[in-house]
Amino acid sequence: MTASGTFGYGREFARLIDLNRLGGIVVKGISADPMEGNPPPRIYETEAGMLNAIGLQNVGAKKFLTEKLPFLRTLETRCVVNVFGYSTEDYVRCIEILNAGDGIDAYELNISCPNTRCGGMVYGNDPKLTEEVVRASKRAARFPLFVKLSPNVTDITELARVAEGSGADALSLVNTFVGMAVDIETRTPRLSNLTGGLSGPAIKPVALRMVYQVAQAVKIPVIGMGGIASAEDALEFLIAGAQAVQVGTANFYAPATAIDIVEGIRGFCRRKQIHLTDLIGSLKAAAGSAV
Amino acid sequence: MTKMQDEITPVVGNRSLTGGHYLLSLYSPRQARATRPGQFAMVRLPGRSDVLLRRPMSIYEVAQRSKHSKPEIIRLLYKIVGRGTRMMAELKPADRVGLIAPLGHGFFEEEYLARALEADEVLLVAGGIGIAALLMPARELAGRGIRATLFFGGRTKNDLAGLADFRRSIRTAVLSTEDGSRGHRGYVTEPLADYLHHHSKKRFLLMVCGPWPMLAASVALVQRYGHPCLVSMENRMGCGLGVCLGCSIRVDGTGHGAYERVCTEGPVFWAEKVAWNAEAPPKV
Ligand SMILES: Cc1cc2nc3c(=O)[nH]c(=O)nc-3n(C[C@H](O)[C@H](O)[C@H](O)COP(=O)(O)OP(=O)(O)OC[C@H]3O[C@@H](n4cnc5c(N)ncnc54)[C@H](O)[C@@H]3O)c2cc1C
Ligand SMILES: Cc1cc2nc3c(=O)[nH]c(=O)nc-3n(C[C@H](O)[C@H](O)[C@H](O)COP(=O)(O)O)c2cc1C
Ligand code: FES
Repeated sequence: MTASGTFGYGREFARLIDLNRLGGIVVKGISADPMEGNPPPRIYETEAGMLNAIGLQNVGAKKFLTEKLPFLRTLETRCVVNVFGYSTEDYVRCIEILNAGDGIDAYELNISCPNTRCGGMVYGNDPKLTEEVVRASKRAARFPLFVKLSPNVTDITELARVAEGSGADALSLVNTFVGMAVDIETRTPRLSNLTGGLSGPAIKPVALRMVYQVAQAVKIPVIGMGGIASAEDALEFLIAGAQAVQVGTANFYAPATAIDIVEGIRGFCRRKQIHLTDLIGSLKAAAGSAV
Repeated sequence: MTKMQDEITPVVGNRSLTGGHYLLSLYSPRQARATRPGQFAMVRLPGRSDVLLRRPMSIYEVAQRSKHSKPEIIRLLYKIVGRGTRMMAELKPADRVGLIAPLGHGFFEEEYLARALEADEVLLVAGGIGIAALLMPARELAGRGIRATLFFGGRTKNDLAGLADFRRSIRTAVLSTEDGSRGHRGYVTEPLADYLHHHSKKRFLLMVCGPWPMLAASVALVQRYGHPCLVSMENRMGCGLGVCLGCSIRVDGTGHGAYERVCTEGPVFWAEKVAWNAEAPPKV
């Protein structure tokens, strides 16, 4: 699958790759109302990664249905709609609008946004808020509900269990890590927003550890992501317990990455004469190891 | 939309010019033939995780290998400013480079062209490496019997790379350097201001490319006379493909909302569309 915010609404890539060879497309985060996003600079390249503070610019749920979904429906590929809001009511309202959209295969709830009602407290950091928004969204949702976890927490397994207990059908992780960069000449931040989300190969080891921990902690499927750029990277996540993976930042510089990964995994399984389902969660833990 | 393609292209040349400028030639017939003036390419240095993202570069020219063949080569004129461009300068013939091209809306969209043909004179205005976006337009215009006037400014004479390539396509070049090492001493907008003042009856069309302050100054000047003006914008780009929304700049109320993507709706915009008093994109 391709990760939210890194593949637009699919159509942008139609000229470069055969979209039907992808397992699924997770579209850019959609909110009930359209959003403008942050002023530039919005991105900054870092060592083996990038910071972004796009500000969740999107066309809004209504326009998504009329302008973006019809094209996605022409594909055989699964369509997952990433949803966010600033209050539980926002999330629910967005889902209620989207429910009218035939051809959506699942929702992915982005709970890394600040909650405006609770003074900017981030949903994904707070078990109570997580429970509230997941329960309400699950009740509203006509399609299966994935919950996308933020890695910017002390114990990701706690939030994972809460999301599972509140009705999530699957968990996706991780979203980006909050980071920053400074221009030493001007002593100003590199991003207009001061901080931004770090993604790309630089975050892979940490993301992998979190996917492993969460896969141990819950029974629902885990969708792994964070710095995946090759079949080998994806295999690490699968062996650590992910049932599926998403590719994000790599789409920007190598649009065929997700397709190459599908081919690469197929080749690996053939060479090892192993079935993919037998690989998942097959990590042989070293004796006495603990995370 | 453009007929862009993602290709691995062999380097056929990488020539060092004055002042840290280089001219990179890539063999890529399909992309070369699809390129329109003012479009750009996203360049990837494969196997480098420290230069992760592709670098946006204007397509300086497309060239044929022999007189009668169709264009097969894409040339990029670039200046070393950081890690990526430093690595580009090390490329040698037979090395391979990932190239997605051609991208974006250039200077010769249907609506733009009609205005160019209406004008009494076309003025090309370049600041520094902005010149790279203007050679193809100059040639396209010359091919239609329009000889443009080029205003070209840089910090020193070493920043006036590529000038010789324009000679056959333009009427004349007005040069300026901040240190006075060549042409007028000062900013490129100063001789431009004089020219507009002395020809206040003429109907001009301007095509401008350069750093933000130079663009903003040129546009402020031109708008005083009401001449139509096309600007080629720069911003950091994550993808060049319209998906990351990293390159958005503020525009004054259009169908796409308050921001538009330099890589997709641009890089060429009508000057009046850009919100010049909004936050400038990063100086890089
Ligand atoms: C549409 C467009 C056309 C361009 N055409 C040319 C050209 O023909 N010749 C040329 O020399 N340069 C051109 N540039 C600028 C060129 O992309 C940057 O100089 C280059 O990306 C710098 O990379 P670096 O690794 O050397 O610098 P670094 O400073 O190490 O780059 C770090 C990051 O900042 C970005 N960045 C740095 N400077 C710029 C810039 N001016 N514009 C956009 N992103 C930047 C890089 O892409 C990278 O993501 C163009 C930019 C755009 C947007
Ligand atoms: C430019 C950009 C925009 C993103 N937008 C969203 C978004 O709208 N919703 C979301 O849940 N995640 C978003 N993400 C996070 C990615 O989906 C992904 O979780 C993260 O980048 C880690 O994967 P990667 O290292 O493969 O990129 C975005 C990431 C990037 C780089
Ligand atoms: S560079 Fe990614 S949207 Fe323009």
